[in-house]
Amino acid sequence: MAEKKKKGKKKSVDEKMNPKEIADRLKVMAEGIVKDIHTNKDPTFRTMQRGKGNVEFSEDTKVLTLGDKTTSRNFLNIGHAKKFMQTMMVTSKTHSYLLENKTASIREVYYELKHTLGKSKENTFEDQTESDSCIVDLEHSVDTIREKLNLHANPKGTLYGDITLRDKKHFNDTFNASKLGRGGWSIMSRVEPEEIEIMKVSAEYVLVIETEAMYERLVEEGFAKKNNAILISTGGQAARGTRRLIHRIHKEANIPVYMFTDGDPYGWYIYSVVKQGSMALAAHSDFMAVPDARYIGMTLEDVEEFGLENVTEKMKDGDVKRAKEMLDYPWFQNKEWQAELKKSLNLKIRIEQQALANKSLSFVADEYLPKKIKKKDFLP
Amino acid sequence: MSEEQTATAEEIAKEFKEHSVAEFFKKNMQMLGLTGKIKTLTTIVHEYVTNSLDACEEAKILPEIEVQIKELGAEYYEITVKDNGPGLTKETVGKALGQLLAGTKFHRMMQMRGQQGIGAAGCTMLSQITTGKASQVITGSGSGKVISLEITIDPKKNQPKIGNLAELKKPFRGTIIKAKFKGVKYVNSEQAPLEYLRRTAIANPHAQITLIEPSNQKIVFKRTLKDIPRQPLEIKPHPKGVTVDELITLSKYSDGKKVSSFLKNSFDRMGDKAVSEIAKNVSFDMNKDPKQLTWDDAEEVVKQFKNIAFIAPRTDGLRPIGEDRIKKSLSSIVKPEFLSVVTRKPTVYSGGFPFQVEIGIAYGGEAGRAGSVNEEGVVERKMEIMRFANRAPLLFDSGGCAITKAVQSIDWKRYGVKDFENAPMAIFVNLISVHIPYTSAGKQAISDEADIMEELRLALMESGRKAGAYISGKKREQEKKMKKELFFKFIPETANALFQITKAPANKLEKNLEQLVLEKLRLEEEEEPQEQPSAEEPAEEKGKKEKVKKDG
Repeated sequence: MAEKKKKGKKKSVDEKMNPKEIADRLKVMAEGIVKDIHTNKDPTFRTMQRGKGNVEFSEDTKVLTLGDKTTSRNFLNIGHAKKFMQTMMVTSKTHSYLLENKTASIREVYYELKHTLGKSKENTFEDQTESDSCIVDLEHSVDTIREKLNLHANPKGTLYGDITLRDKKHFNDTFNASKLGRGGWSIMSRVEPEEIEIMKVSAEYVLVIETEAMYERLVEEGFAKKNNAILISTGGQAARGTRRLIHRIHKEANIPVYMFTDGDPYGWYIYSVVKQGSMALAAHSDFMAVPDARYIGMTLEDVEEFGLENVTEKMKDGDVKRAKEMLDYPWFQNKEWQAELKKSLNLKIRIEQQALANKSLSFVADEYLPKKIKKKDFLP
Repeated sequence: MSEEQTATAEEIAKEFKEHSVAEFFKKNMQMLGLTGKIKTLTTIVHEYVTNSLDACEEAKILPEIEVQIKELGAEYYEITVKDNGPGLTKETVGKALGQLLAGTKFHRMMQMRGQQGIGAAGCTMLSQITTGKASQVITGSGSGKVISLEITIDPKKNQPKIGNLAELKKPFRGTIIKAKFKGVKYVNSEQAPLEYLRRTAIANPHAQITLIEPSNQKIVFKRTLKDIPRQPLEIKPHPKGVTVDELITLSKYSDGKKVSSFLKNSFDRMGDKAVSEIAKNVSFDMNKDPKQLTWDDAEEVVKQFKNIAFIAPRTDGLRPIGEDRIKKSLSSIVKPEFLSVVTRKPTVYSGGFPFQVEIGIAYGGEAGRAGSVNEEGVVERKMEIMRFANRAPLLFDSGGCAITKAVQSIDWKRYGVKDFENAPMAIFVNLISVHIPYTSAGKQAISDEADIMEELRLALMESGRKAGAYISGKKREQEKKMKKELFFKFIPETANALFQITKAPANKLEKNLEQLVLEKLRLEEEEEPQEQPSAEEPAEEKGKKEKVKKDG
């Protein structure tokens, strides 16, 4: 109960808080640590515990949510000291962004803070995952999201189709995503309603595509127009902004979301992140997940149905490992996905989206997708 | 017929005897420790140096010994050993260098170095059979008269042959021996003369030893102590330790008129009561001449020895190096960070032989066998066992030696040494006894008699415990230092970040963070549990008690 209340509060506060207020929160946190230092206490801050141990799959909402376990980060802990220092550096940096009204990508933060430590050969940060993880700690520690810290991930993802948006932060430009040429609209890393407004959606469904190449194929085949669909390519794992936009279109225009990835555990995992959120961002699932999303393909059934036996590939070790893990995920506990995962582990094969070109270039647009969508041949 | 036969047999015997010494020598080189080119060279150095040390000690002179090894050709070397000892006379030169197996050391129940090897005369023989050359000797007593001569051994008679004898008027005191050898080789290995002399210097801190290598490099092991060790006492053999063969040999040398008086005078702890006890139980007349003692008679006597409860043998004849002397010596030569030395009380093995164990564990510094140089330019060292028998280094057959076995039987992890083989550690072990039980005639490995193994293990554990306390302390110290450095590395950036946000002065934050780290590490140290006493302790205590009983 307490957890739910806190979450509710967090959302409302977030919406209203201006950069100065967020900066003050960071300052309060830092002052607490300074006080620890001056009163001979182990410098400490608290954050939410992340990872499997504190992530739950909600049977009600069908998304991943973060539990209520918190954890402390102490300086006087040999295993935490560096992380503590790193988080302080990230805090100081974001504090300055907020005061100076600048925004930066999380990769820029990494590069701004990376240098060697004193005379040692050790770096402040060895790679971006270290600074990224500090950012997540900080988000939870001051109850906010990175967008409010003036940070954003690298933008990735493309939108195409009959949907009209308005960029409130850029001269109120209003545009239809089917009229921007074949490249479509590059999805921003921040697509919050106060920045990007969804004006009108005439399409009947959203088709989310894993690979850029398949997106280009479908644009070239005129698929969006013929089928009255919105195309969104994720370019691999879907970025935060892309997930947020899919979530918003689904919610605001009330149209179904179908997902089209490679037929392998990695592709299926991309689907599951769009559908019910990721472990890393379990706290933000409410903003991003689309529990109603449905999976079109590729599946191993497709291999048989469309006679693609000759164009399958061998599963890699990483795929096998991931498939085994996925068998145990609560959100894959339905007979369709269990069967699919087991089949892949049996056959040890995978099938790429582009393998459909084996039939003909237009096969995917003219036959495969329309046929599947018409028959509602989906996985849950 | 029978006369003729006898004559022939005598002739054969005579002929055999004439050839015997040289033949025996050649055939038994292996048994005498003369196998391998490196080992042979080390053995030669050992023989000369040992003679010098023993002579100096007997004359109460602080030894100064210089060994020079010159390479004359392929596997052809000249060895010169010069000492400042009492010098030799023409007669004693012959005995010392010109007659095989003529030493006075046989049948003496006395702790002496020279129980090993072939003797200096063996070197004379080896030189002449490998090069055909005589050994040169210059010797003087310091009274102004010096003699110079060349010596070989007549292999038929086993008698010295002296040539080019000259007298010089010089105040020189000491002996210089110069001899050439073929089929030997000088290298720098653990079994080579340099290591032999280093270890000799460690076990004889009162001696100054110099080596001039074939490369002309001069290495000096300086004297660390100026007092001459006390002479070991000659102790009569204890009845429990005597074999039938030894009993017969002793009887041949006896001055006693009767077996009974021979036994009483020749053995330690042999009283009238024991003699009458033996007389009651043997089949022969105890009044007979001991020279007439037969093998069967001797067997009966030895059997009686086993049955009688004798007092344990005297142990006061043994002369350990002593804890202080070993400490000084190892400190000066090995320069360790930590040193733990234990000289145990003397005790007895096989019921009849007094012996005593001394252990030194040196850790860090130059302790251990030097290996390759690591990335940081530091010489990596491996654990080394320095074995000594009556202060003489044992360099060969380490695997079969009781000392090695005892060291390996210890669970060194218990004493904080995790990777024992690669620890920067030297374990010095000196076993002294009137009779060291070697495993073979090569005399390079000590037999693992139960009493000796037990005593070695107790001594190792005792010194191991002391070393262990230091090693774990040092490890803790290192860990603490490492942790401190790690925390300190992260302080400046943390302080600066906090300063940027709060404007609290960074240097004060840094200082307080440093204090916090130091305080934390101090508390951690206090919480560390103290070393647990070893589970082997009870055995140690038991051992001590038993010994007290024996000594009493």
